[in-house]
Amino acid sequence: MKQIPLNAIPEPWEYNPSKWSQRVRIILVASVAFFIAVYMGLYQWRLIDSVWDPVFGKQSMQVLDSDVSHKITSWVRIPDSILGALAYLGDIIFALAGSTRRWHNRPWLVVVFGLDVIPLGLVSAILVFMQGFVVDAWCFLCLVSAVISLVLVVLAYDEVWSSLLFVYRVWKRSKKFSVVWDTFWGRPSKIAHEVGSQMARRRDWRG
Amino acid sequence: MWARVVEFMLACWLAVSPFIFQYPDDAIFFWCSDLITSSLIAFFALISIYLPLRKMHLCNLIVSFYLIAVAYFLKESPLQGALQNYVVLGLLLLMIAIVPTDADKPPKPWRDFYHR
Repeated sequence: MKQIPLNAIPEPWEYNPSKWSQRVRIILVASVAFFIAVYMGLYQWRLIDSVWDPVFGKQSMQVLDSDVSHKITSWVRIPDSILGALAYLGDIIFALAGSTRRWHNRPWLVVVFGLDVIPLGLVSAILVFMQGFVVDAWCFLCLVSAVISLVLVVLAYDEVWSSLLFVYRVWKRSKKFSVVWDTFWGRPSKIAHEVGSQMARRRDWRG
Repeated sequence: MWARVVEFMLACWLAVSPFIFQYPDDAIFFWCSDLITSSLIAFFALISIYLPLRKMHLCNLIVSFYLIAVAYFLKESPLQGALQNYVVLGLLLLMIAIVPTDADKPPKPWRDFYHR
């Protein structure tokens, strides 16, 4: 059986969304957001005295010391900025893991990565934008990190789409939950190989 | 393999945490908890390097749930620094522990499938 090459390009793209250059972009962007979140977290831990904000001045500290922020801290037991930093670190960890064909042989990893980037990113961005109306103050670095979250969604959705499309086609072909389950968790089968080959065939591979 | 190295480093951090966060001598639960959990994290990380036991790192998920649970159950404790350390480490370990040991290659079953 001919192996699908590691750099195979899956439908519907003209590039491999699991290739390193794609994932390194996500890692670099998430790293910026991670350091911003840690910086704000250091203020919430009172390890630094103030937060730099060239636009809204002291409003940043009002946001970081707001009741909403304290409420979230009481729920999650750590400052909300540190929770955000961990979420960005998760983006980096899951972007680093897996081969350049992980859309095909580790769909679970791509889905976990997608869950960390897409719903969490959207929710955190919405919360940050809402903060201005609830707290009546704005925080420049929070807004920057919210924009970065949205950029990460755009950078990450292609790989998630390919993985979900692959699993869906395995389901359509097999109509067996057990086959889909095994495929999702990275266990091989003839059907998973054939569906993966067909998804990659039209681009750069002749099976 | 890098995920196991990170787990081992987290274990080292947890092992020295009582000194960093200056636990009082009578905080026996926290001293013992840090010693035992750091040993377990390091143990599961290191044995996962051995190919037949490559999935043992998943046991670190249980350790991560324990760390997070302790922070919630003992939320009235005066050692708030230690508890926040538990939450951060627990969440970090939760993410690292699911990364496969040979994450940079296709999974072993797929490699075997193509080479049989």
